[in-house]
Amino acid sequence: MASVTFDHVTKKFGDVVALNDLNIKVEDREFLVLVGPSGCGKTTALRCLAGLEEVTSGRILIGDQVVNDIPPKDRDIAMVFQSYALYPHMTVFDNMAFGLKLRKFPKDEIKRRVEEAAQILGIETLLKRKPRELSGGQRQRVAVGRAIVREPKVFLFDEPLSNLDAKLRVQTRAEISKLHQRLQTTFIYVTHDQVEAMTMATRIAVMNKGILQQLDTPQNLYDKPANLFVAGFIGSPAMNFFSARLRKEQGELIIDTGDFAVKIPAEKRDLYAPYVDRQVIFGIRPEDIHNPTFAPPGIHAAPVESKVDVIELMGNEIFLYMVSGKNNYVARVDPRTRFKIGDTVQLVFNMDNFHLFNPAADSENPPAIR
Amino acid sequence: MDRSSFNRSAYLYLLPALAIYGIFVLFPILQTIYYSLTDWNGLTAPTFLGLQNYLNLFQDAVFINALLNNLAFIFFYSVLAIVLGMFFAVLLTSAPLRGMTFYRAGLFFPQVMASVVIGMVWRWIYHPQYGALNQVLRAVGLGAWARPWLGDFDWALTAVGIVGTWAQYGFCMVLFLAGIQNISSALYDAARIDGAGMFQQFWYITLPGLRNQLLVALISTLIAAIRIFDLVFVTTRGGPGYATLVAGMYLYRNAFVINRVGYAAAIAVLLTILILIISYFILRLQRTQEEESFA
Repeated sequence: MASVTFDHVTKKFGDVVALNDLNIKVEDREFLVLVGPSGCGKTTALRCLAGLEEVTSGRILIGDQVVNDIPPKDRDIAMVFQSYALYPHMTVFDNMAFGLKLRKFPKDEIKRRVEEAAQILGIETLLKRKPRELSGGQRQRVAVGRAIVREPKVFLFDEPLSNLDAKLRVQTRAEISKLHQRLQTTFIYVTHDQVEAMTMATRIAVMNKGILQQLDTPQNLYDKPANLFVAGFIGSPAMNFFSARLRKEQGELIIDTGDFAVKIPAEKRDLYAPYVDRQVIFGIRPEDIHNPTFAPPGIHAAPVESKVDVIELMGNEIFLYMVSGKNNYVARVDPRTRFKIGDTVQLVFNMDNFHLFNPAADSENPPAIR
Repeated sequence: MDRSSFNRSAYLYLLPALAIYGIFVLFPILQTIYYSLTDWNGLTAPTFLGLQNYLNLFQDAVFINALLNNLAFIFFYSVLAIVLGMFFAVLLTSAPLRGMTFYRAGLFFPQVMASVVIGMVWRWIYHPQYGALNQVLRAVGLGAWARPWLGDFDWALTAVGIVGTWAQYGFCMVLFLAGIQNISSALYDAARIDGAGMFQQFWYITLPGLRNQLLVALISTLIAAIRIFDLVFVTTRGGPGYATLVAGMYLYRNAFVINRVGYAAAIAVLLTILILIISYFILRLQRTQEEESFA
């Protein structure tokens, strides 16, 4: 058990900057998920921590120890790979025992640990098989088992679920969460799937282009995204964005997209007042747009008229793809809604949960106005 | 179309290829087997001897000696070439190096040269007076070691064998290079985290991962060692004395120098059987390993 610290870590491959001044402090026993699109540097960060890549500058600490110059085997970490990386010619038992054998553990201790791990993962009956005789889900378990037997300070997972089918992925997700509770060890988990990140993490580090975008709890990332990238990355379907202008009218603050205008609730006026007559990006999640008939009571509802373009029935909800002038957006509405394609209808935006971003501060990735 | 006429037209299409195969492969094989049962000088009519040629061969000290030399060549052609090929393949894949393509091409180069050319080149390298080897030895003060390598009873076999290794390792290297590139790099990452050093990574990942390539290399180099002729012919012609005489060379002498064609045919048939037996056992080895891993 140990904390993990990335202290101003930069990693370059030639001229390509894979990690740009990364600072993360992972607490002991935390389940930290590194999430981001492919090429964002999350896997590089994990490989640097594992010692499979050398950092260009900065320090990596496990506990209080700087591990920059310590070889992978002495870092007391275990890693589960995306491809599982099971040794193809060894049995499941030997795969799990390999690291212990190389560390010259006594035979009965190896046997005890492997059997215990196999029991936790429900693979006791597979110990004599070779990896090629296993299904994807079983291989994934063996890969996890190989990590468990080492009883490391830190577990590293590199997209361990991406080769599983959708159903198995959901199931294994829950099992990994359970495993974390059971082992009480630091987990660092890399994925591109924000659902995995949201469901498993105690905290999430969102990365893009080698830069840490935001490090926070899943709920805070969802409620208070720090910038446009995080706002768009977390949540599915993604948040709707409109470029808009703030204007003041009879004491009210209005967000005007050109096609429609919505009022900012009184208690938030002070926050946004300095941005009057300036360009902003208005963001609202599909789940905060309602069919007025089924809108929850007591919200600051702002009516918006638009045309229904596409309807997707999900059973428990309906996704409406709406067009309002030059703006397109998605609404996630009550399944009792009976709209037809081509109808011009009125929806309401829940103005308790909206976000404004300031493109003047950073045109590529505008920060949220807080 | 009913089945029998379909079959007939199928054979019709096969006929041209079958005819060529029959005339140029099957017939000569059968002919060789027949001649091996006769006493024939290649000109006059052969006289049938039955198995006498074979019985004579097993008591022919020169032939037995030649087979033992073939055995020695197996060491140079197979064992040494595979070890060397493996060494270079691992070296070329382990560290990214400037001009890697150059080294790969350079190391593979002997493989693309005709063995006659290789033999000629090495005859010059081994030349007693002007040869590069002796000159280097003299230059570094080891002149006492200099000798007529190909004419030395103790060293000729080793000297030719090394040429064989040089000619064969490139093939093994390329096989292993291709094999190594098929091994997932994640396996090496996992092994490093598990605590495996360079040698353990080689032993537990690279070597098992190259099993099929090793078998292919073993079969083809073993066959090459058993049927070796051209390299010996160009460098020593089997000399000095019988020091480097191999079965193929002995076959050639019998057939074309002393006109014992029937006897030579018997040698050819024996060599063929030997190659078939060895291939059978290696292929069986491969099959049992596959069954093991699929069991």
